[in-house]
Parts: sequence; C-alpha cells; structure tokens
Amino acid sequence: MIKSFKLKVFGLVLVTAVGCTKLDEHLNSTLTNSQTANALGSAGVGLLLQAAYTDIGGPFTAQDNIFSLQENSSDESLVPTRGGDWDDNGVWRVVHAHTWDANHGQVLNVYNALNKINFDATNVLAFSPSAQQAAEARFIRALSLYQLLDLYGQFPVRNPGDNLLNAPQVYAGAAGANFIISELTAIIPSLPTTSTPDKANQTSANVLLMKCYLNRGAWVNKAAPTFADVDMQQVISIGNSIIAAGKYSLATEYFSNFDVNNGASKENIFTFVNTTGVGANNSGINGTWAKTLHYNSYTPLNPNAGWNGFSTISDFYNSFGATTAMVGVTQFKAGNISGKYADTSVDTRIGGRFSWLSTPQSGIKPGFLIGQQYNETGAAEIDRKGAPLAFDPTIASDMKETGANLEVTGIRVVKYTPDFSNGAASYGGPSGNDLVIFRYADVLLMVAEAKMRAGSPDVAGALTLINQLRTARKAATVTSMPLVNTNNPEDPTTLLAERGREFYWESQRRTDLIRFGVFLKPWQYKPTDDPKYLLFPIPSQALAANPNLTQNPGY
Amino acid sequence: MNFKIVKSAFVGLFLSLFVINAQAQNKTVTGKVTDSKDGSAIVAASVVGQGTTIGVRTAADGSFKLTVPSSVNTLFISSVGYASKQVSITGGELKVSLVESSEQLNEVVVIGYGTARKKDVTGAVSSVQAKDFNQGVITTPDQLLQNKVAGLDITSASGQPGAATTVKIRGNNSVRANSNPLYVIDGVPLDGRSARPSAGTGFGSSPDANPLNFINPNDIQSIDVLKDASSAAIYGSRGANGVIVITTKSGSSTGTKLEFGTSLSTNAGLMKNYDVLDAPTFVKGLAKYGVSGQDFGSNVNAMKELMNKDLSQNYNLALSGGNDNGKFRASFNGATTNGTIKGSTLDKYVANFGGQYKFLDKRLTLGFGLTYGHTSENVIPFSNNAGSAGNIISSILQWNPTQKLVDASGQFIYPTNGSGNPLAMLKATDDKVGVNSVLANIRASYKITDNLEYRLLYAVNSSNGARATNVYGFMPGFSGISGVGSAAISNAALTSQTVTHTLDYKKDITTKLNLDLLGGFEYWKSDYSNNSFSGTGFNTNLDVNHLTLPYTNMMSNALTMNPPSTYVSPTTELQSYFARAQFNQDDKYYLTGTFRADGSSKFGANNKYAYFPSVGAKWAIINENFMKANKLFSNLALRASYGVTGNQEFPAGASQEQFAFGSFNNAGQINVANPNLKWEQSTSIDLGLEFSTKNGKVYGAIDWYNKNTTNILFQSTAIQPAPASIYFINLPNAQLNNTGVEFTLGANLLTKKDLTWDVNGYVAFNKNMLTKFTQNGQDIQILTGSIDGQGVSGTLGQVITNNQPINEFYLKKFLGFDANGNQLIANSPTMAGNPNPTTTYGLSTTVNYKKFTFVVNGGGSAGYSVYNNTATSVTNISGIANGRNISLAAYNSAEMATSPVAASSRFLESGDFFKLRNASVSYHFGNYGKYIKNLNAFLSGNNLFVITKFTGFDPEVNIDKGSNNYPSRSIEYLPYPTARTFSAGVNFSL
Repeated sequence: MIKSFKLKVFGLVLVTAVGCTKLDEHLNSTLTNSQTANALGSAGVGLLLQAAYTDIGGPFTAQDNIFSLQENSSDESLVPTRGGDWDDNGVWRVVHAHTWDANHGQVLNVYNALNKINFDATNVLAFSPSAQQAAEARFIRALSLYQLLDLYGQFPVRNPGDNLLNAPQVYAGAAGANFIISELTAIIPSLPTTSTPDKANQTSANVLLMKCYLNRGAWVNKAAPTFADVDMQQVISIGNSIIAAGKYSLATEYFSNFDVNNGASKENIFTFVNTTGVGANNSGINGTWAKTLHYNSYTPLNPNAGWNGFSTISDFYNSFGATTAMVGVTQFKAGNISGKYADTSVDTRIGGRFSWLSTPQSGIKPGFLIGQQYNETGAAEIDRKGAPLAFDPTIASDMKETGANLEVTGIRVVKYTPDFSNGAASYGGPSGNDLVIFRYADVLLMVAEAKMRAGSPDVAGALTLINQLRTARKAATVTSMPLVNTNNPEDPTTLLAERGREFYWESQRRTDLIRFGVFLKPWQYKPTDDPKYLLFPIPSQALAANPNLTQNPGY
Repeated sequence: MNFKIVKSAFVGLFLSLFVINAQAQNKTVTGKVTDSKDGSAIVAASVVGQGTTIGVRTAADGSFKLTVPSSVNTLFISSVGYASKQVSITGGELKVSLVESSEQLNEVVVIGYGTARKKDVTGAVSSVQAKDFNQGVITTPDQLLQNKVAGLDITSASGQPGAATTVKIRGNNSVRANSNPLYVIDGVPLDGRSARPSAGTGFGSSPDANPLNFINPNDIQSIDVLKDASSAAIYGSRGANGVIVITTKSGSSTGTKLEFGTSLSTNAGLMKNYDVLDAPTFVKGLAKYGVSGQDFGSNVNAMKELMNKDLSQNYNLALSGGNDNGKFRASFNGATTNGTIKGSTLDKYVANFGGQYKFLDKRLTLGFGLTYGHTSENVIPFSNNAGSAGNIISSILQWNPTQKLVDASGQFIYPTNGSGNPLAMLKATDDKVGVNSVLANIRASYKITDNLEYRLLYAVNSSNGARATNVYGFMPGFSGISGVGSAAISNAALTSQTVTHTLDYKKDITTKLNLDLLGGFEYWKSDYSNNSFSGTGFNTNLDVNHLTLPYTNMMSNALTMNPPSTYVSPTTELQSYFARAQFNQDDKYYLTGTFRADGSSKFGANNKYAYFPSVGAKWAIINENFMKANKLFSNLALRASYGVTGNQEFPAGASQEQFAFGSFNNAGQINVANPNLKWEQSTSIDLGLEFSTKNGKVYGAIDWYNKNTTNILFQSTAIQPAPASIYFINLPNAQLNNTGVEFTLGANLLTKKDLTWDVNGYVAFNKNMLTKFTQNGQDIQILTGSIDGQGVSGTLGQVITNNQPINEFYLKKFLGFDANGNQLIANSPTMAGNPNPTTTYGLSTTVNYKKFTFVVNGGGSAGYSVYNNTATSVTNISGIANGRNISLAAYNSAEMATSPVAASSRFLESGDFFKLRNASVSYHFGNYGKYIKNLNAFLSGNNLFVITKFTGFDPEVNIDKGSNNYPSRSIEYLPYPTARTFSAGVNFSL
C-alpha cells in the first residue's frame, strides 16, 4: 500500500518532468519569418525597405569596399605602403597594380556587400509591398546589380521567397544589362516624381537608367566597347527630360555638394543621409577624409588625426592643367611644388585656398592637398618627427615608401569637407556629410558624352553642356573636347579628363576608363596590364557556393 | 502485516546471531592510524578484517576498535589519498602509519550522474585531488590543473587575473571558436558563457572573463577530467570537447572544525621580459638609423614604471561539521589579486554553504548547496585587437626610453610619435566590472529499496554583470575620445537551470557478478541577455588637473548618446534521457555501456534528437589467478572504450530564419536558415593500460586514443544574394582527427620515516589533422588568425584547410633583407607551421623531510609555432624613425628603419617551452597550543622561470585573433604579461 503510493508519487514526479518541452526555439530578440509578417503589420514592409536603403551606406562609403575596387584600380587613387604602415599584406598595392586574384578580400567583401543589398531589396517583394515600395526596392536592387555587373560582369538574382539553400539564376553581360534596364523601365512609373535625395524617385531611377544605356556597350565588350546609337539616344532623351524639368541645378560652390550641409544641395540627386553625432545608419563618412589625411593633420587629434594612406598620382592631378586657364598658376611638375595659385578664375574643383573658409576650425581644405600644410591659425604643421608636414607628390615606383619622407609622400584628396559641427567628436566619429551617389553634373556630362558617341555626333550640343558645367566650376570654357586620348588617359583636353576633374574619388573612374577604352593603358605605378583585369574575378568562395556562376576569363 | 512472517524473521535473525556467536571465538583489536609524514591522525580510515566484511572507520583521533573472528590475522587499512596497508594483528595496540599516495585506485571518481571507485572505471578519467592542486596565486579553478593531467592543455588568454582560458582535452576538436570542455560542478552543467559584459573602450575589445570566476578554489575537493567518449558520452551533445567535473568539499561526519588560511603575494617582475631597447641602446639606434630630435636624455624603463607591486591578499575561512545523520560546510573566501600592470585588480568574494542530512532511517537524504560569488575588476586599457592607436601594452613597449613619462611639474608627457603615454592611459580610463553569481542546488535521494535509489537534483546558476567604462577626454591623440570623452554602461545576465532525475539500481546478481544500472532524465535551460548605452561629449575631465566624477555617474551630461543596444539570446533548452549499465564480474571483467538521447532547441526542426552511445570494458589482469603469484604488480589492467559524443556549440537561432530590428523603422533578415542543422559528432576509441607495483612504489598508465570528429559544424559560404555571408551547415565528409598517446608515470622514490620523495609526471603526444575538408569537390580554405596593428590591417595568418592541422600558419616566406636593409617577403603565403602543441608534458615532485614539504610543479609544450604579432607591428623597426622603441631583435638585424612592415614567416617562432609553474616549501608545525591544530606555513613562487626560444612575453599564449567566428591559435599580440609572483601564507584549524 505504502509502497505503491510511493511509486505513484515517484511516477508523477518523473512524468511531470518528462516531456515538459517540445524544444521549440524561442528567439527572444529576433522574429521568425511568419512572426515578421504578422508582427509588423502593413507597416512592416516599410521597415524591410528601410533595411535595404541602410545597406547602401557602408559599402558605398568604406575605403576598402566599392571605393577601393572602382578608384584604387584607376589612375585617381592608390595607397602606398609607408614603411610601418599600410602594407596590409599588399592588398592595396595589388589593386592599383592590377595583380589581384580571386582570393582578394576586398573582391569578396564587395561581392557580399552588394548581394546583401540585392537580397534585402528582393526580400521586400516577398512581403506584399505597395506598388511604390516595390518600385523603390527594385531600384535599390538595380543599384547593386549595376555595380555587380560593372565589377564582376555577372550577377545572381533570386525570386522573392526563394529557398536560400538553392543556387539562384545568374545574368551576365548583355543579359545582365537588359535585366537591369527592363527593371528600371518597369518601375519608373511607380516611383514618386520627387522625394528627399535619400529615397528613390523617378529622377534617380532615370539617372541609373542613363548609366546603364551609356555603359551597355562596355558591359558587352569591355576590351573594345561599341556604342549603339539607340542607347545613346536613350541617354540623351532621358537626360534632356531631367534637364528640362529644372528640379536640379549645379551648385555655385563645388564643395558644398560634399560638406556637412550637402543635404540642401540642389545638385545631389541620390544620397545616403548621415547625421552628425548619430551612429545608427551612419555610413562612416569620416573615413573619406581620415583615409587620406596625415596623422597630424588636425591638431587636437594629433597624432592620430588621419590614417595617412590614400593619395592620388601626380599625372592625374596634372589633368587639371593645360587647357584650364589657371591664371598665374604654375602647373604641378615633379619636384616643383611651390607653385602659387591665384584666387580667381581657377577650376574650383581642384580645391585649395578657395575652400579655406569651409573648415576654419582646422585649416584642412577640401580638394587636393600638396606641399606645406597649415593649421587654422596659419601655423605650418609638422609631421611626427617634427619635419614640415608637406605633401610630396613623388611616390616610390613600387608603391613601397622607404625614404625618410615616407609619411608625407603622395598628393592627398579631401572630397568631403571634414564635419566640425560637433567638434572633434564628429570629426572622428559619426559625421553629417551625406554620401553622394548621383549628381546632376553627371546627367550633363552623360548627355554630352552620348551626343559625341551618337550615330551622328552632336559635338556643339555636347560642348554647350560641358561649358555650362565648366562655367559653374569657374573654369574657362572650351571650344573643343575630344572624348579621349588613347595614348594618355590623363590628357587634360579630353572629356575623360573632364569627368575625372568632376567626379574624382566618387567611385566612377574605373567604369569611365573602361568605357573610354584606356583601362589597360599604363599609368603611374601600373606599368603593364592583362585584359583579364577589365573584370574582377568571381570570389573563389562565391564560385564554390553557386555552380551557376562562371569564373571570368583568365582567373 | 503477517505476524508469522515477522516472527519467523525474528527467530531467523536470532538464530543467525547465535550461529555466528557460536562459531566465533572473537578477538578485539584496537589501534591508531596516523599519517607517516607528520604523525597526525587519519580520520575515517577504513579498517577491515582481511577476508571478512567486518570493518570500522577510525575516529577523529585516528583510533579504532574492531572485533574480528580469531581466525583473522591481518587487517586491511585504507584511506583516500593513502597507500593501503595490510597489518598483522599482534598482541597490543596497533600503530599504523599510512603513506600518502598519488596512486588513486581506491579514490572515488565522479563519472557523471554518479561515482565509482577509480579501479572500477572503464574509461579514461583523470582525477586530481585537492592535495595535488597547483598552489600559489590561483584565481580560477582551471589554474589548479595546469600540467597536472595528461592530455589536458590549458592556456590563459591573458595574464590578467580572472581572464578566460583556452582548455583543450586531447587536442583541438573544433573548427569553431568556443570549444572549451563542459564544466560540471556538483552535477550541475554550466553554460560556459560569462555574464561579464564585454565593453569596447576605444582601444579594442577586451578579453573575455573566465566562466569559473565565481568558484572558490579552496572549496574544491577534486576535479575529474573525463577524456574519452566512454566517460563523456553520458553528457551527450555537450561531451565532445571532454568534460571537467568539479566536486566541492562537503562537511565531515566527525565533529566540528574551523579552518583558516591566509596568504599574501607580490609580483616580482615578469616571468620573461619582452626585449625592447634600453636607453643607451636606443640612443645608439637613433644614430644608427639617422633619426634626430628623439633623444630626450632620460633613462626610463616604462615596463618597470608600470609594474604593479601591491600586495595581493587571500583569506579563507571554512566551518564544517556533522554527525552520522548529516553534515554541513560553510566557507568564505576574500581575495584581492593584483595584475602585473598597475591599476589592474580582481577582487573576489565567495561564500559557500552546503549540507546534507539523512532522514527516514537514512533512506532519504536531502542536500543543498549555495555558492554566492562576487568579483569586482578594475580593467586597464588592454585589448585583443588594438589598432594603430594601440593600447597600454603597446604604449609601454613603444615608449621612447630617453623620455620621461611625467615632466617636472607632474604633467604627463605626450609623445608625438603615435604612441600614447601609458600612465596617462591608466589615469584616463576608469573601467570597472562587477559580476554577482549564484549557484544554488537542492538534492534529494531516496532509497526505494536497498538496491534502488532515486535521486533528484535541481539547480540554478544565475549571474549578473555590470560594467562602467569611462575614457576621459584629456588625453590627446585618440579619435572620438580626445577633447570629448566617452563612456558606456553595460549589463549582462546569464541564468541556467537544471533538473535531473536519476534512478540507480545496484544488485549483486551472483556473488561474482555485480550490476549497476542507472537511468535518468535531465532538462537544462539557459537564457542570456545584455544591454549597453554609451555616449560621448562631456563637459568634465577634459583636463587632467580637473578630474571629477566618472562620466558613468552622470551620463545625462553627454552631448551625444548612442542608441542603446539590447540583446536577448535565444533560449537554449536541452531535454535528455540517459542510461548507464555497469557490470563487474569477479573484479576481473568490467563492462560499462552508456546511452544518451539529447533533444536540443538549437537543432534544426528536422533533427531535434541526437543519440550518443558508448561502451567501455576493462580487464583487471591483476585479479586473475595466474597473477596471484606475481610479486611485481599490485595493479595491472587493460581498458578499451568506444563512444560517440556531440558538440552543439553553434549560435542559437542558426537553424531558423531570423528577422532582426535595426534602428527605428528598420528590420531585416539576418541569417540563412538551415532546418537540417544538427550536432557535430566525435567518435573515439581509447585503449589504456594501468599498472602499479607492490605498495604503490611505481604506478602509471598508458593511453592511446583516436578521436574522429564528423558532421563538422561549419560556417559555409552563403549562396549570394543572401542576408549574411555565411550560414551553418554540417559538413558531410570532412573529418577532424586527433590521435595521441599519453604516458603517466609516478614513483615513491623514498619512503623513509623522516624523508619521502614522490615524483610523477606525464607526457602526451597528439596529432591533429583535418581531412576530406572539401565542399563541391574543392578543398575548403578558411583564412583566420588576424594579424593586427598598423600596416598589417586585414592580414590573416592562419588557414583551416584540408590535410593540415587546424589553424596551420599560412604566411609569406621571409627572404632576408635587400642591400638597403628592407625586408624581402615572398609574394604568396605558404603553409608555415603547426600552432597546436604536438607534445605536452608535466612534472611534479614532492619531498617531505621531517616537518618540511617541498613541492615543485612544472611543465611545457613542444612541437608547435607561435606567431609574434607584437614584433610584427608594434616593436618593428619602423617605429624608431618616429622615436618609438623597437625590439632588440629588430635592432640586431640588418633591417633599416624604412623597411616596410609585413606579416611573414620572420615572426613565426618555435613555441617550445618549459615553465616552472610553482615551487613551494611548507613547514608543518602541527598542533600549537591548546586550540590551534595543523598549523602550516608556506612560501611559494609561481611562474618562476620559463625556458624557451620565443622572444615574446610568454610562449604559452593564445590571444583571441579569430576571424569571422573561426578560431585562432598561438598568436601573441600585446598580451597581458605574465608576472612572477611570490606568496607566503599560513593556515590552521581549530
């Protein structure tokens, strides 16, 4: 009796204990797919869309992401190894020297970052978005596919809700171009006509569409691009309609497009918005000046004010020379860095003293920094050894600086004026300059280029647009401007050089050099080349994961 | 009830007593059992008439009285920790002195959900008793075991007191980080995480804390290391990295005792210096490399200036007692431990109260245990991944030795060379972490019948940590800190709960065949969360002369508050059924089988349950008839075992599709779900031979094992477009193999009355190899092992790939220097060396001379390489051009100051070392005065020296340089230096 009672109690304890959980996993701070649809309601898809927008900031801003592949691979930017700094296992040198391979970390990181945008944008479509939300998502996806096609020559696309363990379809070359063009064409009617510059509207989609038409010939055959007249006419007609609408105009001060108040610029069509002092969704825009400025460039943060890395080559700097009527200006030549610049009638895009007032707190000027640097009191700055902080344009031929001046070699480029609205905290932390992705100036120069590339070139029409831009930049007007000098990519008289002067360090240069057919030409610190470098390789890891991808020729 | 039955039983009992009485012409034996070393009484020693089951235990004064049949001429006397002895019964009172023994056959070994005598265990279990623990400055229990167990490799991630350790049992079993063994304390499996919030200080991420910080090392009775699958398989999906079972002390049933102990310690320099230039050499260097303006005329050794010489203190008090029906123990530990570097301290307070009481004619036992631990740390700016701005260690190493740290007016001197002032860094950072932990358990066991026992364990382990991190704005040169200051408050909470039910059935089926069956159910649940908020831009502490409140006491002053972050980890639940059957035939043939079914909430929907079987067998050759005549051995046994264990250490939530919220109005998918995700499986075989000679003079064991890990949990490349770059899969074919041999040998070299000398040690060999590590027909190549610092950003120095050991070094070959003194480096990396020690060894010796005891412990590792990341990027030659100090090795090389920095095989060094961990001498005063008993005083030195060719601080180093959640191994980067410490202490009981 007692025994059986005991056994019952015992059995009860055991039974209550056993089978008490089904082992369903409670995620606690994240949601499952079905919870997402239910928990967020109709507003939920807006949150997913915002995630896709947010993805854009990092990879388009970071110095080791899209910027590195599109700019360091060109004649606009390089990162010399400076003795104890910036060797980084040679990753920067191989990009500039065109000797990268399929295991290069940046090649992988860019591929993954762009496809993260691709994924998050596609995912919006699986959650019943409105027509406009769907159009915005497809615009964001098209932006990432544009970069993927341009860099890698192919891109994968998933259907909304795909099983992520399956390999998605891949589009390459012409098919890729057609896919992006058809996407943009389809969504434009569903986009708003106006919006804040950080959100897609019809104009931003049209600019991307223009870039697709303009580059289609290069995507199909990068070694020898040809330009179909129908594509050029598309560029011209879309561009003309943007110009005619009059919603955008060139800024009176070039660098105001890049300063902390650039959200007000009438020139910026599509941007990634950053807010001073706010870390969330900030793209880390302060890196755009930190990557180039010297350790001592800003006294309060001395000796860690800058990372002292990125520079440009003197030949590119010289492309501001010859035909620009820089009155009294001594064009830079190696060994002569003491030229004086006049305060008027100079192409303002070169920066320098014109923008002195932009950063009265520091003495740092936007534009090209050469020679002795001064702080805000006008005192000459010194480097970490006490020598004058004077940037010397001559870079070691193998990009490995070993001389006594290794800290100060290379012309520095400050495109985004350092944000001092919050003192040192915004200089080194979350800064407020919005990242510019599309500008109105590009519309003008794309139309001009298309007019010159059209079946029946309209050179006069092109020059009108070019001079409109040059006038705004306080550069002398020109009476002729060939597309390119294939023997000298930095020939100042060409449209390629004009695009360089306008868009330097805006991640456009590699695409331009390929489209103008000179990407394989030698330039400073890149002696020889192989046609395979017209495309980046599919990263080894990505290739192993998706059998639908095909490695690019030569890798 | 049936009266007849009672009556017959009563009569039967009476008759049997009568029969025994009638048979026996008994004799009574009295005596006293003492310790041969100091003559102190041995309490509760077992005294049994040889060939009978008649026995008693000795009383508190070691005395016994036993009545045995007159035919019995010999007594068998045994006690845990002593060599057993057979004593002839002579006329008068017997004086028996037992010799302390390292031979552990009769010791009880904790085998998971139960205990067994060491000699009954069929698996490879190493048991270390309190008396054999490492001594000196011990902050966490794993330090007690360093170089004590063959096949157990414990590496501190940092010399900082209370830092996490890397613990590997029989090699590296995982391609992922977090592959430490499972810790089980008094039957309660721990989570393995720590509730100490990790906060970034602007100098990089600081090393993790040790999850065992809340344990008082003095409370530990023994630690058992379950090495092979036969022993660990009962822990199923958490057993693959081995299991470390910690058993705490309980009270004794022989009276009340108060124990007190205290020790004081001090740092006496570094175990090994990192050689940078002294001032005269630095001045020569400036001339050699043509650097001007950097000789400031002083002679400063920054490392010396920053050394912490404060006294560390440790106090222990324990009160225990009990009687036949119950016992209790209460203890308190208060300790403050000073790190090597000024300002780095760990204060620790642990209170422990436990007891167990018997009811219902001792059928019911109720027990409880409550441990409360508080640790309070002062953390200095020290990190695993400091960048170009460095941290305190880099500032010390790079300090220009001709420059004073502080000028005549008491102001910090800030060099303009990119290196910070380490004293200023200390003053500018105020980073305090407090962690409160509770481990409470309640246990009940009930003997349902004489053979069947039910046991219940419920335990909760809860920790809360809070951290206040301040970096004051007065210090120049730190982006985002200088001129503005920054501060963060972080909290973390970790709670795990365990319920275990077991039924244990013991039965002697025949006189020769014993059976022990165990079945059980366990439910385990763990929750973790953390949160933090931080801000920058403060109005105060922007001038070193005006330091006021910590920012974290007035956060609302911040100009900019970052969005607070909160994280609640997925709840992890385990639901398990397990069983074990043990057979013992004739003490000759032993067989153990275990089985566990583990259900885990982490596993994918398609694989909720995992099954882990094991079998172990042992042949005690010594008990065979043909061995009866042998005069050599007192123990000789062969063991063999096979078993399957699992590993489920992948991030919870990995099997499900997860959508996470970003900042306001932002949510997105963050992972690629894998509903097939399951455990990683290790299958292992162990063959062992145990032996000891008569009287335990020489004893030892040889074990061979082969451990094969399959279904490897692997971060596969996600198929883009995807929400993340990786996702978890089980790799189908890959195998991670660890094969090795362990030799353990000990000897009692001298056993004279006033002089005994024991030596024991081990050497273990392990070979680690990854095979069939392929995906889609191609070798997988995962780069990991971040090489950090200025000029080497993004460089990875190790590879996990096919047909190589885990974390093989993968570096560009160093090709010497060119004519201009610039280093030449090959273009492509190649396999460069194995970071996993292939040989580990330990040696301990104890000499007792009269009342003196001398103990020396040491050990080391061999057959592996260590990468010196500090030399690569912190003390490289380029520093001197800017007035930073450089390593002596760089100075002595042909390199010139303009040489480019690069990671290469140049900085890969042999890690082979021997370390003298601990040497101590103690004097046993014995009883003193009327009340003081067992008075003991000791002097002890820790980390006295290391013999190695490695040029860094300590070759036994494993800074966490993992990349993308892949682990790294054996990379040195700005490690927290290991101090040489001396302690003196006294303990006694009342």
